[in-house]
Formats: sequence, structure tokens, C-alpha cells
Amino acid sequence: MLAVIKKELKSYFFSPIGYVVIGIFLLCFSVFFYLTVLPSGSVDLSMLYAYTALYGLIIIVPILTMRTFAEERKNGTEQLLLTSPTGMFKVVMGKLLAALSVIVITLLISFMFFFIVKFFGEPDIMTTLVSMLGFVLISIAALSFGIFASSLTENQVIAGVITVAFLIISLFITDISNMFSGFALMNFYTNFTQGVISLENIISLLLFSVVFISLTIIVMQRRKIVK
Amino acid sequence: MMVKLSVCFGPNGAGKSTTMNMLTGFIEQTSGEIIIDGYNMLKKPKKAKKEIGYMPEGVPLYTDLTVKEFVTYMAELKKVDRKQRKEKVQKIIEQTGLKDVQKKLIRNLSRGYKQRVSMAGALVGEPKILILDEPTVGLDPKQITEIRNLIKELGKTHTVILSSHILSEVSQVCNKVIIINKGKLVAIDTPENLENKVSNKNCVYVTVEDVDNKMDTIKNRIEGIQKLELVEENEDGTKQYMIESKDGVDLRKILFTELAKENITIFEMKKADSTLEDAFMKIIEGGNK
Repeated sequence: MLAVIKKELKSYFFSPIGYVVIGIFLLCFSVFFYLTVLPSGSVDLSMLYAYTALYGLIIIVPILTMRTFAEERKNGTEQLLLTSPTGMFKVVMGKLLAALSVIVITLLISFMFFFIVKFFGEPDIMTTLVSMLGFVLISIAALSFGIFASSLTENQVIAGVITVAFLIISLFITDISNMFSGFALMNFYTNFTQGVISLENIISLLLFSVVFISLTIIVMQRRKIVK
Repeated sequence: MMVKLSVCFGPNGAGKSTTMNMLTGFIEQTSGEIIIDGYNMLKKPKKAKKEIGYMPEGVPLYTDLTVKEFVTYMAELKKVDRKQRKEKVQKIIEQTGLKDVQKKLIRNLSRGYKQRVSMAGALVGEPKILILDEPTVGLDPKQITEIRNLIKELGKTHTVILSSHILSEVSQVCNKVIIINKGKLVAIDTPENLENKVSNKNCVYVTVEDVDNKMDTIKNRIEGIQKLELVEENEDGTKQYMIESKDGVDLRKILFTELAKENITIFEMKKADSTLEDAFMKIIEGGNK
């Protein structure tokens, strides 16, 4: 697993992808800092994280995940993975964690907003940390879906579009029917931004991730029979 | 350890790559069993895969890694012990002649070097069996010789199965030929045996100047001739005939004396040579019928 993480991180940061992602991400943070925190004049950062999760992830997650398996498939390098004694679970987890660490790096940088408002008042450190924890969890869920989409096709664009479409639809899906509430990722996140850790939300997000990680593994293994 | 160099061989679309993909566990077979060094590929895939080094068709590589990074990555995937990893990676890089380019990005390498990198990836982890899918395709003659020599070298310590559709490669590199056609195993033997099987030992080609057109009468004069056939008429007036005899009869001596008596001048006489090419054609055609 470590090998896959290392290799994936290399390809993120030896190519522009990693920097572009972090750049766009920080831009999102800054824009929402300007739009939410500054006008209200409060030291409350909850809206900052909520809005960045809402809009930022829609752009970031597809960029990070669209190439994961689609590229391997297109170049034929998935043959190297599937014929190696390393199990598919480790490969999928490696790719997920590598993508996650790019997000985590950005989150750590986003701490600067905490210190900016701290200059003017007393922001609650715990709320901010819980926001970040929730941010990590929702990112894992969104990344799992993105990786799953990437495993379905050898075309990166299609994988990206599927992920974007899913993330956008997931925002309105409860308006269609409450039956789909399990897919409305943002609903699980909003509580975190208020500093509330709810077991239900944690489990929901993790369960969502587990489902799509498993589906990815199944798709990758199943491909063996179909091809 | 049994060491063998086998070639999986067949026309395009015969099923060579599919067979190899199945052997390496990339595709699951629909029926039958694949046993690698005692491990069933479906039941114990991890152990079975550990014994195999696979160089897939079209040399898929991570082009944004350097040679050394790629080989190290493969070593990690193949679970080479951490302590020995560096040393073993270096050894393989030297063995495959990649030392000078180990810090270059794979993307910038020439086809021949890419092939070597792919081979290095297969060698990592000391697998007992090497499966190489068309290792010399797309290379220039010098590179082909180099890769072949490398394969021969590896054949001394590994069981090597390689696929090819180039005939000359087969007889030069391997000591066992597996011929596949349309997904079916057609023949499995040494190249020499395959040649012998289809050889037409009793066939002689003669080119003669036959002024009196007496060649046809020869058939009656010499006992043992089964067939006499005109192959081609050359511009200088000579004709080439193919003469087939019964088993175990060498016609050359008697033809020489008899043709002289008929005032037919021999310009050239040779025994038909059968090649692996003939063997291949016959076996494949036999399978198609």
C-alpha cells in the first residue's frame, strides 16, 4: 500500500496536477473567506468550511480521481497491478490515501485562516478542528466515488464528468426523494462545521466510502473475466 | 529446478496473449485450471503471482517515473524484502543494461530501452517463471539481437515462456515450441522435431538443360521415382523439376548418372530443405481444415 501511495504522490507532484489542485483549493478557501467571514465580521469559520466543501470538492475530487484507474487501464499498466501479488484492496486504498493527502495538505494550509481571524478575536479551535475532521471524512467519501467512477472506464474525461455529475446531483437528491438521503454527502457534513461530532454522520460517511471502495475492487477484479 | 525456454507461437489472433494473460492471472479462465509452481491461480493468486514475472504486450510502463523508480515500484508491488530491495533493484538494472539511463524518465527512452525496462520489471522479485509477450516486437535488428541474448541468458536460470509470431526467433531462442491456432493447442515439441515431422526428405530439386525433352522418360527409367513435376522454366532454357522418391531412397546419385546418359545436363541439384516455416504452415493449415 505504501508503495502505491508513494507512486501516486509522485505523479501528483511531479506533474502540475498536485499544485493545480492545491492552488484551486486555496483559491476556493480564500474566495469563501472573503464572501462569508469578512462581511459577517465574526470569527466563526463554519461557513468557510461548509462552502468550500460544497463547491470546492466538486472541482477538486474529479481532478484528483479521474486518472487513478482510467489512466492505468488506458496505458495497460493495470496489467502490472493485477498480475502482481499485491491485492486490489491495497492498490485502491493506496490511491485513495494519496489523493486524500493532497486534500489534507490543503486543509493544513487552510489553518492560516484560523490564525488570520485569531488576530482579531477568539475563534474556537475545537470547532475548526471538528470542521476539518468532517472535511476529511466527506473528502474520503467523495474520493471513493471518484475512484469508483474512474475504475468504470478507460476515458478520464468520462470518469471526471460522472464524478462531477454525482457530486452536483447529491446536493439536490434529497429534494427528489428521501430514499436517496444516503447519497446526500453535504447533509452529513453540515453538523461538523458547527463543531458537532455525530456518530451517525461519521458512520454514514464511512459507510458510503466502504460501499464505493468495495465496488471499485469488485469492478477491477471483475474486469478480469470480462476482458 | 527445471529450466526451459518455450515459445508460444501462432498467427495473429491465435490466442497467445490471451493465454499469457490467463497464466499471469490478469484474466480468469472460463474452464480448466492454471497451476503455477504448485499453486492454483484462482485459489492462491498471491502465491502463484509471486512466482511469475510478466512482461505484457505493448510494454505498459509508468512513463512519468524514472527507470529506477519504476523498478523500485515493481519491487515494492512484488513484495521484495525492504532490506534487500535497493541492492536487488540495482542488480536487475545492471543485468538488463539500464545502468546508464536509470535516472531518465521512462517517457524519454527509446523503444528498445522501454522494452528492457519492462523486462526489468518482470525480473524483479526473482520469479521462477518469466512470461514475455512479444518481447522483440518493434525493435531494430541490433536491439532484437540484444534482447534475444538477454532472454537466452535468462533462460539459463529461469523458465521462460515467450510469445512470438516471428519464425526466425523461434528456432534461435527456444528449445520448445508451442503452436496455438484459433485458441487451440496444435502442437508442442522441440523445433527440430517439428521440422522433422513435416520434412520432405525424399524430395530433390534439379535444374537441367533438357534439349531433347526427354525428362519425362526418366520417370520410367529410374525405379523409385514417385512423382516428377516441372516447377519452373527459366529464361535461359533450363527447367527446374521436383522429383519425389519413396522413403529412404536417395535419388541424387542415380539421377546424376541416368540424366547424363539421356544427354540432359544438370545445372543444379539440391535436396529439399524443410524449415520451421514449412512446419508451421503445414500445422496451421492442417488445423484450419
